Amino acid sequence: MASTVHSDSDDGMDAFMDKFKTQRYKNAFSENDWEEEFNKIPMFMKNAPEEIDPQKYPELACLQSIIHDEDRPPEEQAKSLKDEGNAYFKEKNYQKAVVAYTAGLKKKCADQDLNAVLLTNRAASHFYLGNMRSALNDAAAAKKLKPDHLKALIRGAQCCIELRHFSEAIQWCEDGLKVHPTDKKLRELRAAADKHKRAAERDARKAKAKEKKLHGEKEALLNAIKDRGIKLVQPARAQRSGSDSEDEDERSPAAIAELSLDGLSSQEVTGAQVFVDEQGSLQWPVLFLYPEHQQSDFISAFCENSCFTDHLGVMFEELPPWDADRKYLPQNLQLYFEDEEKETLYRVDPEMSLLKILQHKRYFVKAGTPSFIVLVKGSSYCKQFLSGRKIHGL
Amino acid sequence: MLSDSEVAELLSFLTPSTRPDVKGQATEYILGLSGNRDGCRFLHSKPDLIAALFALTSDPSIAIVKDCYHIFINLSADETLHQVLVKDVKVVPVLFKNLLDPEYLFSDQICTILSNLTRHEKTCKILFKVLQEDVGMAQLVQIFCTEGYNKNAKLHYLGPLLSNLTQLPEARNYLMDKDRCVVQRLLPFTQYQSSVVRRGGVIGTLRNCCFDHAHHKWLLSDAVDILPFLLLPLAGPEELTEEENEGLPVDLQYLPEDKKREEDPDIRKMLLETLLLLTATKAGRQMLKEKNVYPIMREFHRWEKDAHVTAACEKLVQVLIGDEPEEGMENLMEVEIPQDVEEKLKEADAKEQEELEKEEEKRKQAEEEAEKKKKSDSEQTDREQESGLIK
Repeated sequence: MASTVHSDSDDGMDAFMDKFKTQRYKNAFSENDWEEEFNKIPMFMKNAPEEIDPQKYPELACLQSIIHDEDRPPEEQAKSLKDEGNAYFKEKNYQKAVVAYTAGLKKKCADQDLNAVLLTNRAASHFYLGNMRSALNDAAAAKKLKPDHLKALIRGAQCCIELRHFSEAIQWCEDGLKVHPTDKKLRELRAAADKHKRAAERDARKAKAKEKKLHGEKEALLNAIKDRGIKLVQPARAQRSGSDSEDEDERSPAAIAELSLDGLSSQEVTGAQVFVDEQGSLQWPVLFLYPEHQQSDFISAFCENSCFTDHLGVMFEELPPWDADRKYLPQNLQLYFEDEEKETLYRVDPEMSLLKILQHKRYFVKAGTPSFIVLVKGSSYCKQFLSGRKIHGL
Repeated sequence: MLSDSEVAELLSFLTPSTRPDVKGQATEYILGLSGNRDGCRFLHSKPDLIAALFALTSDPSIAIVKDCYHIFINLSADETLHQVLVKDVKVVPVLFKNLLDPEYLFSDQICTILSNLTRHEKTCKILFKVLQEDVGMAQLVQIFCTEGYNKNAKLHYLGPLLSNLTQLPEARNYLMDKDRCVVQRLLPFTQYQSSVVRRGGVIGTLRNCCFDHAHHKWLLSDAVDILPFLLLPLAGPEELTEEENEGLPVDLQYLPEDKKREEDPDIRKMLLETLLLLTATKAGRQMLKEKNVYPIMREFHRWEKDAHVTAACEKLVQVLIGDEPEEGMENLMEVEIPQDVEEKLKEADAKEQEELEKEEEKRKQAEEEAEKKKKSDSEQTDREQESGLIK
């Protein structure tokens, strides 16, 4: 700014220039916050602010209004919106990208290539947002506009794979390969979709085989019970006339399913169920009830060939804590089962096997768990319990 | 045969402007001729007639066109006529053009003709050249694989056509182009129930492809995954152990009880031959062993009754359970066989074939006898019943 040799000029230039040495110019950057200020100038901004407040960023708001000027032709507007969307996409701000692309599509410009790109890019944004159906719809729309648009074809196939619509995915790939026969990505996607499809088919077969096996086992179990002449009864809620358990000719799968669901499902939380053991004998979950003390015992697997004394002997080897009177000795115990319908108690001979008792014509297994009442011979509770009831010996 | 003047007269009847009933009689007559060898030989010397007939395939009368196509099917079945058809009358480009038309009514006949023309290498080569120029093999495969491409034709004979084409290395290379997806599209058809022609054609194609051991690794890889498609038609409903199941390719696991094996013994044999080809390389053998091919073959062997097919199965099993060949001989296709050994092997092969023929004959006879006996037994009991009633 030193004055030159041509100092003939009389226009006061020198004086003007000298002023700068002393005066501060308006809106100068200060030493402290010049970086912040820099970041506010559109040209030097590192990132765009989320919202553009015309008060804080007047220049930016100005630029925006130029870009989105409604007077520009729709193609230009759409293109700008596409660029905007792309910028957001690069920043992984997929929501904003979708908004931009949508605005671009709204312009309904005549450039179908551009529209196809807008759709495809929006599809990509939706894809990364996890909106597979929206992504697929956009890819399909792009494909309709431009059947050879490679990115749309690839995206469509990818969406189908994510949605586990493998046959559809393969179709997308094959449509794509018709137009781009040597594209590697399409080839790979096709192979992947095909592999998944065949794995899914195998899984379906495996599940079916398993179900069949289970069904077979259930049927075998129900047959074993039926063959022994043991009657199953569903818990109270079944109000069918002539309960299924008595209708022994009912062999349809539905009936078996019902029986197996209701007739055998134990009301006990233990989830124990009758089963056929390796020797072909039935093992039952059995409940022993002690009404005197409101107690019960649960045997998870009582073999049908065992007799009650075997179990009682073990169960009462040590007297239970609730037996305050110390009277529940195995030899003192009396067993009964209740015939609810006839309101009768039947006395059980503990030397008999479980099977024999279950086969009794008035014995009905309720909820798949045989239960028996245990009383102490000659005790006052016993007398009280039995008084006023119909009792049968065996 | 006909005199020259008679031929000229016949020729004059084969123009589009001739009365339909006269035209029809002429074509009917030639159809009769084409049905036997002497007739064909005669027609061979009369290219003008053939050209005229070919022109008539555009005739408005469907009956005439149908007869013409049948004539060409018969002519194409005779190899001596190939030169005339392809070089003189130049049928191939027109046939391909019509094949591409999804509305064309006679595409099935075209497929048969093309299939016939490609049976022998010489004409096959010419045809392939035209194919690549006009249609492209990719398009041919596309048409073949598109269900319902032509409402009026099933196009099953494109299968044998492809099979014939793959006798040429150029065709095989195109089909097995790693950068494209061509052979993969054929694979599902190894179990195409509705047409034995289509199925057989595809399997024949795959077998021919497997002669190129350079492609084996790729064929067995995930990019193509040819193995399950070859095994499925041979696998049955027998239950395998959990362990055996888990080692199998995914498509062969947990097959349902109603799974049926391939019904046609020739196709079964082709499948086994293809599998055997895949055992030529060490990598191939390893893959087949790893993927539990042996249990499938074990069950298959129990089920198979045909002697020829059983022999093919045994050959395969031998490789699967046998020891690895010694060093230098791992690629069975590249092993050099000395002349005298080769001759002995050929003799042994011929002998084996004879024995197998005999065995098959015996088995078939035994089956027939059993059938007869069953019939006479049931007749017997019928009579007994009747006599019982009367008593």
